[in-house]
Formats: sequence, C-alpha cells, structure tokens
Amino acid sequence: MDAVEKANAERQKRWVKDRKVGEGTYAVVYQGREASTGRKVAIKKIKVGQFKDGLDMSAIREVKYLRELHHQNIIELLDVFSSKTNLNLVLEFLDSDLEMIIQDRSLVFLPADIKAWMAMTLRGLEFCHRNFMLHRDLKPNNLLIASDGQLKIADFGLARDFADPGHKMTCQVITRWYRPPELLFGCRYYSSAVDIWSVGCIFAELMLRTPYLPGESDMDQLKTIFRALGTPTEEDWPGHTKLPDYVPVGQFPRTPLRDLFTAASGDTLNLLSRFLVYEPRKRISVRDALNHAYFFALPHPSHPSKLPKPATQTSRPLEELDGNVEMAGAGPGVKANAPNKLKRKLTSPDGTELRPLARRLDFTQLAKHS
Amino acid sequence: MAADSAANVVDAQVNSSIGKISLYEGSTQYKSWRYSPEQLERIRISLNVAAVAAIRNTFEADEPGSSSNVLFLGAGEEQLLVKLYITKIPQLCGHFRFPEEVEATAISYLKRFYLKNTVMDWHPKNVMLTTLFLATKTTNNPISLESYTSNIPKTSSSDVLDLEFLVSQSLNFELAVWHAHRALWGIWLDLQSLPDVTEDLRPQDIYDIAIKHVRASRFTDAELIYTPSQIALASLALASPLLAQRWADSKAPPGSIQPLSETMEPTLGAIKYIITQMGHPPDVEAVREVDRRLKLCKNPEKVPGSKAYLARQAEEQRRAEEKRHKKAEDVRRAITESNPFGNELNDDEKATQLAELDDDD
Ligand SMILES: Nc1ncnc2c1ncn2[C@@H]1O[C@H](COP(=O)(O)OP(=O)(O)OP(=O)(O)O)[C@@H](O)[C@H]1O
Ligand SMILES: [Mg+2]
Repeated sequence: MDAVEKANAERQKRWVKDRKVGEGTYAVVYQGREASTGRKVAIKKIKVGQFKDGLDMSAIREVKYLRELHHQNIIELLDVFSSKTNLNLVLEFLDSDLEMIIQDRSLVFLPADIKAWMAMTLRGLEFCHRNFMLHRDLKPNNLLIASDGQLKIADFGLARDFADPGHKMTCQVITRWYRPPELLFGCRYYSSAVDIWSVGCIFAELMLRTPYLPGESDMDQLKTIFRALGTPTEEDWPGHTKLPDYVPVGQFPRTPLRDLFTAASGDTLNLLSRFLVYEPRKRISVRDALNHAYFFALPHPSHPSKLPKPATQTSRPLEELDGNVEMAGAGPGVKANAPNKLKRKLTSPDGTELRPLARRLDFTQLAKHS
Repeated sequence: MAADSAANVVDAQVNSSIGKISLYEGSTQYKSWRYSPEQLERIRISLNVAAVAAIRNTFEADEPGSSSNVLFLGAGEEQLLVKLYITKIPQLCGHFRFPEEVEATAISYLKRFYLKNTVMDWHPKNVMLTTLFLATKTTNNPISLESYTSNIPKTSSSDVLDLEFLVSQSLNFELAVWHAHRALWGIWLDLQSLPDVTEDLRPQDIYDIAIKHVRASRFTDAELIYTPSQIALASLALASPLLAQRWADSKAPPGSIQPLSETMEPTLGAIKYIITQMGHPPDVEAVREVDRRLKLCKNPEKVPGSKAYLARQAEEQRRAEEKRHKKAEDVRRAITESNPFGNELNDDEKATQLAELDDDD
C-alpha cells in the first residue's frame, strides 16, 4: 500500500459511521463517532467520480474553506478522508438548525434570544469577512445549532475569496429569499455587503417567525423587496438603474419598518434598517454591526445554553431531512428546503460559474495585473 | 524551524497589513507544509528508498533476478524531473491565460505531491496536468475538462481525472495556498504610504524585477521552507536593497534596538541565494537522461494492463469483497439478535436496514 493510502486508511479507522441522518443534493450525511473517544460526529459523504469535470466545485469550496477556518461560530471540520471514490468530511455533530427552531411553533423567542443568535451569526461572519471570504449562502437552514446552544455557520459550498477588488463574480448565488437587490439586478462586482443583506433577512425572520421576503421567482423577489422596503430612488441607490439586469418593477412606497415589526425596540429597528440598505456601499459592515447600540442595550443576549431548542431533536424522522417533505408545523405553505434545490442547480458543473473558455480568456485578460 | 523570530514578526506585520494574520497563522500551509532543508532531504530520500525497495520486489516476484540490472533513480534525479514539469506550468498557464493565482497554486500542489509520492510511481507529466486542473477549481477559475484537454496536445480526460483523487488525497485535502506574489503586492502597497519613500524611489520596474524573482522562487524549494512574506521581501531586496530595508525597518516593533532589516539578514540572505542559484529551469539534456531511465524503473503496478497492475487490482477487489461480506453478515446478525422475533422480521424492513449499510468503506 502506498504511503498516501496508508495514511488515509488510518484516518478512516478513527471514525465510525452509525446511521444515516440526512441527504443533501450532493452528499449523504451520517451520524457517527470517533472510535477512540465516542465523541459524536457527523460524516458527510460526498460522491465524487460522478461529475464529468471531476471533483465538484461545491465540495472543493467546502473542503478548502473549512480546512482553514477555525472559529467558535463556524462549523468545525475535524477530518477528511476518502473511501473508494467518496470524499468524507467529518464535522462536529450539530443537533438542529435555526430554520427548525424558527418553524417550531411550540417555542417562544425572547428579544434576548434573538440578540444572542444575531451576535453569534455576526461573530462567525466577521471572521469570514476579516479573512476576505464571502459565504454567499446565509440563511436559517445553514446556521446550525450545537447542543450547548452555540450557533455555527455551515455549508461553505458557495464561499469564495474576495481579496481582489474589482474581480468579476457570478451573481447567481445566495438562496433567493436572502439574495440582495444588487445580485438580482445582475451586479458582478460585489462585496461582503451581499452577506449582510442575508443577515438582515434572517434578523427579520427571527422576529416574524416566517421568511421576511419570500419571492416566488427572481423577478417576484425584487417586487417583494420593494413592496416591503419601497422602490429605491436614484438618491437611495445611485446608479442602480445602470446595472446589467436592471428592469423597472413598479413603484412602491416606503412603509416604516415599525408597521410590521410592532414590538421591536428602536435600536432593533435601526440595526435592521442598516442591514437592509439598498446601496451596498452604505450597508453596515459586520464589524460596525457588532458595535451597534443594539448589542449594548438591554436586554443582554441570552446565554447560549438558555436558548430555545426543539424538544424532539433527538428523534428527527428521516423524511423531514430529505428536503421535499413539508416540516410539521411550518408556516403556511413554506417548504423547508425548496430554495436549496435552486442553489444546487446553480452550482452544478454546468452552472454559470463555469463559463466557456473563450469568454474566460477575454475576462482574464482584462483582469490581468488587477 | 527555518523561520527565525524576527522574520516571524515581519511576517505577522505583513499579514496584518494585508489583513490576514489570523487566518495565515491558523492555515494548513503554516501548520503542515513548512520544512527545514534537512527535513525535505530526509523525506525525499526515504520516499525514494522505500519506492526502490517496493519496485525491486515487484520485479523479482515477476521474474527472479530481473531487478539486478535496473538502474533506479536517486532522490536528486527525481527532483530534477519534477522541476522540469514545474517549469511547464507557467507555459501552459500562459497559453490558457490563467491568472497568476492558478499558476502558483498548481506549482505548490505539484511540489507537495512529491513530498508524499515518488516519480517512479506517478510520472510528473500527468500529475502536473492534474494539479493545474485542480488549481483552476480551487482558485475559483474553473474551466470545463473538455476545453482543458482539447487545448493540450495528446491529453485525454482520463489523464487528468484518474489522478485527481490521488492528488487531492496527497494534498491531504488542504487546498488553500498562500503565495509570495500576493505578499509582495502587500509590501508594495505599504511602500506607497511610507513618508521616507518618495515616488522616485519606487519606480514600477523595481516591482517588475521583484515579481520576476518571486516567479523564479517557484522553481525552488523556497516556499516549503520560508513564509510567503519572507520570500516576497527577499525578492524585493534583490530588486532594491534600499526599499526592502526601509520597509522592514518601518515594521520594527516599537522599542527594538536592532533594526529589523539586520535581524532578518540571515533569512533573507538564504532565500536570495536559493532564488539566484536554483531559480531557473533544469538542464534539459540531464532531465532527458533521467526520463529515459525512468521508463525502465517505473513501478509496473502503476502501469495499466501490466501483469503486476492486474495482480494488484485483483487483490484489492478480493479484499473489498471480503469486507463487504463481513459487514453484511454483521448487520444481518444485529437485526436477528435485536429482534426476539428475528425470523419474522419482514423482508421489506430487512431490505431497508441492509440498504442503509454504507457499503463502500
Ligand atoms: N454537522 C451536522 N450535524 C448533524 N446533522 C447534519 C450536519 N450536517 C448536515 N446534517 C444533516 O444532513 C442533512 C443534509 O445536509 P447537507 O449539508 O448535505 O445538505 P442540505 O444543506 O440540507 O441540503 P442541500 O444539499 O439541498 O443544500 C441536513 O439537512 C442535516 O439534517
Ligand atoms: Mg444547507
């Protein structure tokens, strides 16, 4: 046996798969444990060798970034090994996700709970942005919750670096309901502000207990956003009518956030409005958000161990996990995983990030020495 | 460790000046891919010795006495061949107009691969093609395999894909690489804000010369020994000692007595030496001779279709089969034992439980 195979076999022996707990589009997830300690882990088995372009981009991104990122609010990748032509990611085991918690009608959220989840999300995101990484798929379903209540950002299948300003990027990222207007208008030079918009949508969803901006198509998404926040004027967002996919979608008046978020404090609404600023450059940065008065005002954020969690988490039935079945107690007609399907389609090997060579060459020439 | 403490200070400074200190120090490159020159030599020799022994065995198993006349490659010769293929990466990247990030990443992968494998098992030509293709993806510049292979003469998609998994495994799935050309850019930006570095002190051609030295360093072991910032600073020092000194001194921690440029001199000197002495393509004639000999001593187990290759495959299949049987048996036993009415467990249930068995490991 080669040294490389031997090393792999040894890694593989450290981990035991116990049972299947879920299935994503490109991976099957098992509950397992570390053989020597019994520590519970999740083993995400990614099928490779089925893609005509070899290792799939989502798998590559996920492994690449999780290998490097170590932070309390980012899911920990404990090990990577391969079995035949499968890639296995050993992840810390996380009992639930924020989507399940939001949809569990038996749980009551206090403002302090929401503040704690927001602080943990922003801390994890601050670490990504500080290290010039965009997540590009923030949503409640990708914010996993550990048994001690810690929130962990997961699913780095769409992440990328943004060290090069002015580097053209695809706008086909972020699940629709959490996608900012600049991406919906086809903007290809964007920044960390795209993740901030998603955080704003999540913040609103935590208060409303239902998705804040659930558009039914990309076009309808813009309409949904403008209906909620008012159609932007040239003054709100200079130059937006010049963006590649700009289309007028109708004039809607701006209604005060207060009308919908009746119980929220002034600080809460102020922070929410700064996440949801149209002009990306004026949108609050993650660092400023963490220093916002909201986090210093009372009530203090709940301690993670005191946060609400689903009662039935130990025995999640399997059907709930495979994405097509409506979650028990979900909001009206909200299918838990529907937007995911969209996301995966976009990252398939035929997806938009994979441009034909001719176009790529033009573009790299432009980008040279940038 | 090769990095002395003053250099580390500078490194931290450079990295924080480009905002990346925390990630770099927690990076897989920092933790898994830095060696001393002696470590590198030891690793290469022991890989070479183990490979020669294994291949000799295979030859003998096939035909006793057949290995005695074979002139196996030495570790230095393996290195020479790898170096030749390293120099082919910039050529290919020029052809495809890939960004510099792709080129530098592919080269790092190729070097790292041969710290886990030997050329007698895997010829660097295909490994090079695979590392480059993988690098286009890991740096987020993917192109389709079709357009990749159709632009490289005599290359099929299996030449690239067959090794992709082995390459990723050898890299330990540590795919992020930190590069000296980025660090150099960071230093260059810093220089523009130093008060005592006026514009006429830093003409563009100094940067151009420095980046050439960074590129030359890719043909050497420098990146396996030193940090990107150290290599960048040494490259700048080759282009302009004055600028390198000004920059280093501006980064000295407050209250230090000795200028940082002095403390760092030994490290920078060593890197400058590596770049100027080793930073060029190898002599093609010498490599050709090595490649000729490689044809006679490569591992037959890795030559598809050969007797040894088929024997090894059969053995692997047998082992996998055995494992699957054992596992299925275990599950069957578990089902029967856990159910007092084991025999009455209906077939559907049995089928589902068996289906959930992960049969590929
Ligand atoms: N770290 C983990 N701990 C526990 N369960 C997990 C973990 N990661 C994933 N799971 C479970 O496995 C399921 C599939 O996860 P995966 O990340 O592959 O796909 P997904 O994000 O749910 O779906 P999609 O592929 O459509 O985005 C999840 O829904 C979750 O129930
Ligand atoms: Mg997900």
